[in-house]
Amino acid sequence: MTDITALREAIATNLATISGLRTDSEVPDSPNPPVAIVELESIDYDGAMQQGLTTLTFKIIVIVSRQSDRVSQRSLNDYASQNGARSIKIAVESDRSLNGNAMDCRVQGLTSVGSLELNNTEYSAIEFSVAVYV
Amino acid sequence: MAKYVVTSQSVTINSVDLSADCARAELVINSADVETTDFSSGGFVELQGGLKSGVLNLDFHADYASGGASETLEALVGTVVTFVLIAGGTSASTDTPSFSGSVLINSFTPVAGAVGDLATFSVSFPTSGAITKATS
Repeated sequence: MTDITALREAIATNLATISGLRTDSEVPDSPNPPVAIVELESIDYDGAMQQGLTTLTFKIIVIVSRQSDRVSQRSLNDYASQNGARSIKIAVESDRSLNGNAMDCRVQGLTSVGSLELNNTEYSAIEFSVAVYV
Repeated sequence: MAKYVVTSQSVTINSVDLSADCARAELVINSADVETTDFSSGGFVELQGGLKSGVLNLDFHADYASGGASETLEALVGTVVTFVLIAGGTSASTDTPSFSGSVLINSFTPVAGAVGDLATFSVSFPTSGAITKATS
């Protein structure tokens, strides 16, 4: 059985290797930036016979404060980079088995850049798409 | 079951169940065309069925684990082994017929795939000998 909760938690654990970035495997009521939130986006069943392969796509939303536009943009640049100590891709793929819960995973891309309003406060946010094979 | 959506064909090669690594399974049975055209054919080609043959076409996900498709097939190249293909189930019945026989493992692709894609490979094995259908 695919344990989606365990997959979300494992992605959040990998993201937590980025210093200073809070993580949450579920959507919180009041995010506390900088924070990376893991959401389930879609599932493709029957990639192989007899449920031999299921592909889950997760969305990672990284939210940062906009108190300073320059600081927030540079921060997002670091998270969006394909390498470096604050790279979301490097962090998620640091354990591609997701603690033994997946056959493989890959950060497919950055899918959105924009702003987000939460509790009457505007934040900068970027989204990533992660494919997980179980 | 009448018409059905393919999700659960059972694919066994050399007694190893490879279903969970298999994304497409197809067994084709052919008959050779033997021409019998003569002066009384009225200007049209006439044919009779000749020897039968078969091809087992399979698309796999690369899997190097013990019992996986890659590990299993690599060791069988050049040999004739048994196969069992069950349509839509794991046991033969009138709704999920089983087709079995032998195939020559005449090719194998140990590494394939483009960057960012799931690693997959396709094989096409000729059958050797008779193909048997079972419904129980």
